Amino acid sequence: MKTLGRIILAVFTTTWIATAAFAAGPSYRIEVAGLACPFCAYGIEKELNAIGGVERVETNIGDGTVIVTMKDGAALDEATAKQAVKDAGFTLNGFTQAAQ
Amino acid sequence: MRRSKEYGEKILTPLHSITLAMVALAASAGVATEVRAAPETFNSALPVSKGNFVFRQQFLDLKASDDPSAADRNLEVRGSISVLGYGVTSDLALFGILPYLDKDLDLTMPAGQRISRSTNGIGDAQIFARYTVFQNDMRGSNFRIAPFAGLKLPTGADNDRDSFGRLPQPLQPGSGSWDPFGGVVVTWQTLDYEIDAQASYKANTEANGFEFGDEFRFDTSLQYRLLPRELGPGVPGFLYGVIEANLFHQAKNKINGTKDPNSGGTKLYLSPGLQYVTRKWIAEAIVQIPVIQDLGGTALEDDYAVRAGFRVNF
Repeated sequence: MKTLGRIILAVFTTTWIATAAFAAGPSYRIEVAGLACPFCAYGIEKELNAIGGVERVETNIGDGTVIVTMKDGAALDEATAKQAVKDAGFTLNGFTQAAQ
Repeated sequence: MRRSKEYGEKILTPLHSITLAMVALAASAGVATEVRAAPETFNSALPVSKGNFVFRQQFLDLKASDDPSAADRNLEVRGSISVLGYGVTSDLALFGILPYLDKDLDLTMPAGQRISRSTNGIGDAQIFARYTVFQNDMRGSNFRIAPFAGLKLPTGADNDRDSFGRLPQPLQPGSGSWDPFGGVVVTWQTLDYEIDAQASYKANTEANGFEFGDEFRFDTSLQYRLLPRELGPGVPGFLYGVIEANLFHQAKNKINGTKDPNSGGTKLYLSPGLQYVTRKWIAEAIVQIPVIQDLGGTALEDDYAVRAGFRVNF
């Protein structure tokens, strides 16, 4: 009985993770020129998170990149990303859509 | 013994000499305190994101007891300084500073008795705007130049009294005067280190028959990332070692239009400190040690100043 319970839990968890992964929309890799300290990263993340349809924002300060993942069905264009980075006080240096 | 309408009480003359110490405090508690990451004793040119707030709370303990006069003065100032910054645009940021000060002065009277005078309360607020006129962003580094200008407002009490009478102006929580100031700050920031430099001038005006001497400051700061040694993915917290230098020059105070010879002069502080910086908050502490004090007459010399506090992004 215990084994059956574990199997059901594993199937449920795997299904949930897979669903969540497929539910996410496209991801974009943004290169931010000027980003050089953690306190400044917050401003960039806040401005990007304020864009409609953004699911998740992850910053890698070491290489100055931000990965923006959109919700299912949403998209991000370069002009919007550029304005968000500018509002944070920095400069957009690159914008590419990550492979799905 | 000099007397004036405002300072005619017989115990006040020795207190004229503490002016520089008090003004040094006022200056460093005001323009010198800003809210972005980077220097701990003055401004940086780093941006405040559009529509974002940054709050800083800094606690200060200043002690000055190196007294060339026979009064054996001992001054201690404790302060809690609140700063709020707001990004109007990514280039224009507005700041407001409100200090709370607690000042204690012990001194020996000519007759030999030891007395204490003290006061506390909200000090003079400052408001100023900073605008980025030059910005060069590169991968992992940036360079900015930002002038700023503002006004010190007479929000602090400037007519406090104790059992000995009216407190001398430098011991009051506020100056009573409206004082404009301005300057320029330059920041060069990389992932490994940051260098800042600031020059500023404050034109003090007269109130209550007293005018603090105008102030000129030149500040520099170097912050070097100690940890993490290597940057991996994500945004780890940075631990910076900090060394700052503060050059402070003040003209002589004027009492009813007459220059006070026991005031004004030049000070140079060297200040080691630490700063831990995360995305949302910063914790920091620094000790300001005077290495040069070329002061007028019997002006009281500083021993040290300790600053510690935090900043938050929201």
